[in-house]
Amino acid sequence: MKRKVTFIIATLLFIVACGNSESNEMGNKEVLSKEWDEIVTSSKGTEVNLFMWGGDEGINQYIDKWAAPRLKEEHNITLNRQPMNTEEFMQKLLTEKKANKNEGTIDVIWINGSNFKNAKNADLLLGSFSKKLPHFQEYIGTQDQNANYDQGTEINGLEAPWGNVQFVFHYDSSKVDIPPSTLGELKQWIHDNPGMFTYPNVSDFTGNTFVKHLLMKGAGEESSLLSKGFDKKVIQDSEEYVWNYLNDIKSDLWRNGETYPESLTKLDTLYSQGEILMTMGFNEARGESLIENGTFPDSTKSFVLKDPGSISNTHYLSIPFNSPNPEGAMTVINFLESPEAQIAKMDPKMWGEGTVLNFDKLSEEDQQMIETLNRGESVLSTEALNEYKLPDIDTGYTEWINNEWANRIVEQ
Amino acid sequence: MNGRIGLLSNNWKISLYLLPAFAITLLLVGYGTWSAVAQSFQTIDGEWTIATYAELFSSDAFFHSLKLTFRVAILSTLLSLVIGLVMTRMLYELFKVSTWKLLVWIPMLIPHFVAGYLVFLFLSQSGLLSSLLYQIGALENRANFPVLVQEEFGIGIILTYVWKEVPFVILMLLPVYYEIDHRYSEVVRTLGGSNWDAFKTVELPWLLPVLIETSVILVAFVASAFEIPYLLGVTRPEMLPVRAYEWFYNGDWSKRPLAFSAMILPGVIALLLATLSIGAVQKHRLRMIKGRSR
Amino acid sequence: MRLFLKGLGKRELATSFMLILFIILFILPFVTIGLKSVSVGWRWPALLPSGLSLDAWRSIMKDPKLIESLVTTFKVAFLVVLLNLLLAIPAARALSHYMFKGKSIIEGLLLSPILIPGILLAMGLQFTMIQFGIADKVIGVVFVHLIPTLPYAIRVMRAGYERMGSSLYEQASVLGAGLFTRFFTIALPLLLPSIRSLMLLTFVISLGQYALTAIIGGGTVITLPMLYYPYFSSSNDAVIAGFSILFALLPLLFIGFVEVMMRLVIRAVNRV
Repeated sequence: MKRKVTFIIATLLFIVACGNSESNEMGNKEVLSKEWDEIVTSSKGTEVNLFMWGGDEGINQYIDKWAAPRLKEEHNITLNRQPMNTEEFMQKLLTEKKANKNEGTIDVIWINGSNFKNAKNADLLLGSFSKKLPHFQEYIGTQDQNANYDQGTEINGLEAPWGNVQFVFHYDSSKVDIPPSTLGELKQWIHDNPGMFTYPNVSDFTGNTFVKHLLMKGAGEESSLLSKGFDKKVIQDSEEYVWNYLNDIKSDLWRNGETYPESLTKLDTLYSQGEILMTMGFNEARGESLIENGTFPDSTKSFVLKDPGSISNTHYLSIPFNSPNPEGAMTVINFLESPEAQIAKMDPKMWGEGTVLNFDKLSEEDQQMIETLNRGESVLSTEALNEYKLPDIDTGYTEWINNEWANRIVEQ
Repeated sequence: MNGRIGLLSNNWKISLYLLPAFAITLLLVGYGTWSAVAQSFQTIDGEWTIATYAELFSSDAFFHSLKLTFRVAILSTLLSLVIGLVMTRMLYELFKVSTWKLLVWIPMLIPHFVAGYLVFLFLSQSGLLSSLLYQIGALENRANFPVLVQEEFGIGIILTYVWKEVPFVILMLLPVYYEIDHRYSEVVRTLGGSNWDAFKTVELPWLLPVLIETSVILVAFVASAFEIPYLLGVTRPEMLPVRAYEWFYNGDWSKRPLAFSAMILPGVIALLLATLSIGAVQKHRLRMIKGRSR
Repeated sequence: MRLFLKGLGKRELATSFMLILFIILFILPFVTIGLKSVSVGWRWPALLPSGLSLDAWRSIMKDPKLIESLVTTFKVAFLVVLLNLLLAIPAARALSHYMFKGKSIIEGLLLSPILIPGILLAMGLQFTMIQFGIADKVIGVVFVHLIPTLPYAIRVMRAGYERMGSSLYEQASVLGAGLFTRFFTIALPLLLPSIRSLMLLTFVISLGQYALTAIIGGGTVITLPMLYYPYFSSSNDAVIAGFSILFALLPLLFIGFVEVMMRLVIRAVNRV
């Protein structure tokens, strides 16, 4: 018995002692100076680990059943989707950076917004790679707003756009005849239907974005400044509108505004139970799969607020500083930005989200495919969505809302 | 007795027996704690500071959270202990049969977050209980159903923990009940003592160490677990783990030191509590074992 | 029924009442999870779902990582259980039969992994594990799973040793039996119930770890919770319910396997 224990301990210590030889002093930035053909060739036969949140069946399907087999066939690359929450792989990269681990396990990550800002500030990303990608050059271009700023943070080629989603509200059309179309009408609707509306806690991304719409409205003419960096002056001019609005509606919210759903999931649950009549969130087509699997009632439809409009949000793919296979990572990202992959992603049976490619730069054939694509009953028309589209605003405002909201609204 | 032959050889033996477990625990906990404490005293850029703790102690919201956390932890622990104890007393004979004992194990197989989800499923205003009351006509509207989850006192959270921990308490107490010589209880009753007297004089001395140990484990667990308060709590005040989690992962990373310190405090309290109570029941325990022979 | 009840004393009646209460409170809710996993659109005030469908189960089965994750889960859990046995048995023996200086401090320390928030330890250990090169590996995950399991393992074994008492052991020792003979012929059979509990408990705990596995396994070591947990931030609760059932079945499978193995070993030992 004793001997066994001693043996195990010794083995463990031995493993512990001899494990530390993995760091790769060379670094992998040299890939950034290679020619594209060379990159594609050297990525043949390799494995690429894509780390992303794994809680949506449609999204997982798109990667596992659509993208992975095609990558294998066209580039002989094995794409492994590793399900992991964004916070956790960010934490992992941060610690690996501290521990000087230059040969990691992650090749591609799915990020945006404040996660990107954190990653950029902590120097967790490989470097400027996006302009090397042929599809990026051809269908998006370096002039594109989404290619330059991610919620106010300058991108500098550190990440490449992957998808674009718009903020929409979903409502039960069997119980609401005409949905509100401005913030003013929404306020009136909430007063007329006490207890039937709420929004998630602002520490949740969705709740935060709801409040950002108020900020946009409050800023009025200055609202174009919001996406160009954090500005105290804009806040001073618009905050009164924001907090007054939220305090005005508070007593007519679900549970009289005494508590708020902690997450979008909770908001959706309330909606699916019929406790409230509206829910909201990014991705104009997200209702489709939820109606399909019976979570949302069949009569669910969506709307956007014409005033101030609907915030759009772009999410990105990037390569961490210690990717063991940056060549493969770039080939994969380029593939995922192809018109073929982007159009397949719009299919509501897969993911259903919008493309990041510039419509005008696509071939006529592809344009036609997008135009004839049936995104589902609950999705608004592309024209309507584009007409009221607003850019996302700086992450500084996200944090401002986060810090102020509890004091101004909840603890009143 | 073998143990008395030589002090030295005994010490050797004890050390050898204990060393592996001790070393591994020390390695894991020592390293982990040290690093966490260090990070709580550093800014995100690595400068040393006590500003984090100053900020924590000057914040009302922190104390509200702390109060709620320990209220929920202590209430759910006490309730679990009492219910678990009553159930064990009545059912231990039955649970001697291993098929029946499996019944106690079944609730242990479900993770905590599923338990929270179940409580939500049954007790929310749109839950199954509310549906049932509506169907039998006892409820006109679901808004009249009492708010049990997501309210300020933490009823839903406490209920979930009690539901989840009662089987655990039973499992902790069962072995003790098999050890107690229940003939003594009969003696007490024959001598005119009540059930309560029998419990107090015969069972309690046996139970006390386990009860204390179990309660320390439960308080510590409830004070540091995140999922259930996140699922069933209110926006403000929120329980400490929820607050710490928000600090960990929200926005930029400047609030991470706060998260570390907010979690170290309940950990330290629990650890002190544990060492003190273990010390207190130590002698008591050994006395009982030495006196035992079969 | 009446006759049956009449035949019972007051005490038996109370016991059966308690048993029924226990089953209603602690077992029946699982039926709801089962129903939920095959339900479509279950809304207030309906007492039963409006439709049934196997979609949730289909999407669980479709996950290409499911098999890999089950294999990894079992691998990790087996090793964790094994290490726990090896570490806990001697420690429990020492704690149950000897009194020594600083014992309460050592006991406090051995209990400390479950008193200090696990996520705190994991974040602290992550750095060290990366440096030692055991992060992102099964061995690293097994190692951190000792944090939430070892204290319980020691606790359970200790109760077993205490119940056994020391007199039998001493008698055997007086009769000249060696350490190993004593352990295998006397201690082991008496400790069997505790060993069984230890195995099941540590298996269940190891199975349920999400944060520790995610942080130390780094997304490369994929156990079942890694697939299951993200679904909590989607709105499809049929999938969550399905996973919960799968989750509860694994320990039962494991304990069934252990039981068979134990019987075989005991038979073999008896023959010798």
